[in-house]
Amino acid sequence: MDIVAVENLVKKFKDVVAVNGISFKIRRGEIYALLGPNGAGKTTTIHIIATILKPTSGNVFVAGYDVVENPDKVRKHIGIVFQDPSLDLDLTAYDNMYIHGKLYGLRGPELEKKIMNLLEFVELKEYASKYVRYFSGGMRRRLEIARGLLHEPELLILDEPTIGLDPQSRARIWDYIKRLKKEKDMTILMTTHYMDEAEELAHRIAIMDHGKIIAEGSVEELKSMIGSDVIYVTLDNRNIDICETIKFVNSCRWISLDRVEIVVDNASKALPEIFSIVDRLGVKVKEVSYRRPTLNEVFLHLTGKELRDSLESTSIPPRFRIWR
Amino acid sequence: MSLDLSPFIAMVYRHVKRWWSARSRVISVFLNPLLWMIFMGLGMSTVFTFTPKDVAPPGIDALPNVGNIMDTIAKYVQQMVNSRFGGLDYATFMVSGMATMSVFMGSFIAGISVIWDKQFGFLKESLVAPAPRGVVILGRIVGDSIINTFNGFVVMCIGFTISRSLNPLGVLVSLPYLFITSIAFTSLGIVIALKLASIEGFQMIINIFNMPVMFLSGVFYPITTMPEWMKHVAIFNPLSYTVHGVRYWLTGADVGIPPMNPLLDLAVLTFTSIVFAYSASKIFEKTTLED
Repeated sequence: MDIVAVENLVKKFKDVVAVNGISFKIRRGEIYALLGPNGAGKTTTIHIIATILKPTSGNVFVAGYDVVENPDKVRKHIGIVFQDPSLDLDLTAYDNMYIHGKLYGLRGPELEKKIMNLLEFVELKEYASKYVRYFSGGMRRRLEIARGLLHEPELLILDEPTIGLDPQSRARIWDYIKRLKKEKDMTILMTTHYMDEAEELAHRIAIMDHGKIIAEGSVEELKSMIGSDVIYVTLDNRNIDICETIKFVNSCRWISLDRVEIVVDNASKALPEIFSIVDRLGVKVKEVSYRRPTLNEVFLHLTGKELRDSLESTSIPPRFRIWR
Repeated sequence: MSLDLSPFIAMVYRHVKRWWSARSRVISVFLNPLLWMIFMGLGMSTVFTFTPKDVAPPGIDALPNVGNIMDTIAKYVQQMVNSRFGGLDYATFMVSGMATMSVFMGSFIAGISVIWDKQFGFLKESLVAPAPRGVVILGRIVGDSIINTFNGFVVMCIGFTISRSLNPLGVLVSLPYLFITSIAFTSLGIVIALKLASIEGFQMIINIFNMPVMFLSGVFYPITTMPEWMKHVAIFNPLSYTVHGVRYWLTGADVGIPPMNPLLDLAVLTFTSIVFAYSASKIFEKTTLED
């Protein structure tokens, strides 16, 4: 069942089209990543799903509710960690959690217990009574994740969850995300412009650029979209012409006395077949290796290499700009 | 459907807690009005104090004080001057308006926290919450108003050290006036802040509004002696009603122009605060990230 359904979503700011007619669906229990360069429209899409921006046209449903018609219902079902911090720095970690809980209608000892459990989950329990002002970037991020989970949302939205963090914090946050999926079967929608992050975490990825989704699928599917995997097989007997026998590959040639280079669409699917053919021919495989196109190559292939310098859409309505 | 008050409590809690953990703000509550009272109150009050020496005709060094005549004249002049201030000496007159001024300034500027929240992201957090927006913003307004009313309470207490003719019971009766006034001006500040993006812009508006509203309220000089045109403006200034009401209960002096009377003051203030608070909640309900 789909927890998020986006249909022909368009969002125009004054003179910029931030999101230009995108559609996608997120199934329950999957980690879905919007991958794209800066200014691709990822955050705008997320803000519309989170009901804090109104779409120009198109429909967005979260847990069956329309984000425009029933924003309150949608808000109950989602937890969100924004790209920019949204903590109250003048309060303690506990108070930030407490106020969030109260805003979501939680109360009493149950709320206190949940707060402590979640602070433990993100390893911030000992800092519960410390002011957030003194927290490092990684600690703030973790606290925000804990806060987003407090009301047990069905969908957790993470906007660039590891941007600007050190490798330790990144690894830890990836770890949390995997545990949430594994232990609670949480549905997670995330945006990122890090390939490794999308590759590591996401079940399905939509690559966005210039407000459009230009490719969608699992990591494997995306990789096989552009290119070909290259398999190198070293055989102990070069008298048998293996390339005569293997017909389903894109190309096959001997590159040395006992080494064959085979280009296929999808190495993981092709390898078993190659093995069985080689086996039938009675040849022994001494060594096998293959190189996959990286997601990075896929990404650059799809989005091009030019820089994305654009002005962020302003958050001030034009008529008040004079007061800035 | 029952209304869940948790979000309301959450916001009240947040604002009181934030205030309490910012020591500088707590201290400024005591310090700021104290400075006003010392330099403005004590400094100005001697301008309006008359001794026998002051009433002696010029050029005559020593007039014999026959039958305490000079004392009597001085007293008479003092009485005449005081009648301008509703029969109060100037220190009492001003101190009784000071609490109102401090509540007004504190409330109006409280809207600035909305802009801080925009810049530090907390506003987004309250925008994605499923709680009814009206309840959230009311919590915010009430939280700030509690602080400001406390602020006013402290100022009234300090006032006893400056003036001996204040009525301790009046302090308690004044609190609801101050609280309702704070609701009105906090709401107004929030309405403005929701529409602005920068601290500087907000401060500019504060600067433009603060002075006329303050001086037209009758804190420093009575409305009764204002030029006619100024009276016409003052009658539409909600703060005039607070100053009048609070001064009435603290000192018993009725320094106002018709139709001001303590009960009407309360009605006008309640009406104003409902209008402003309602606008604040309506605007907040429509707020998206684009505002």
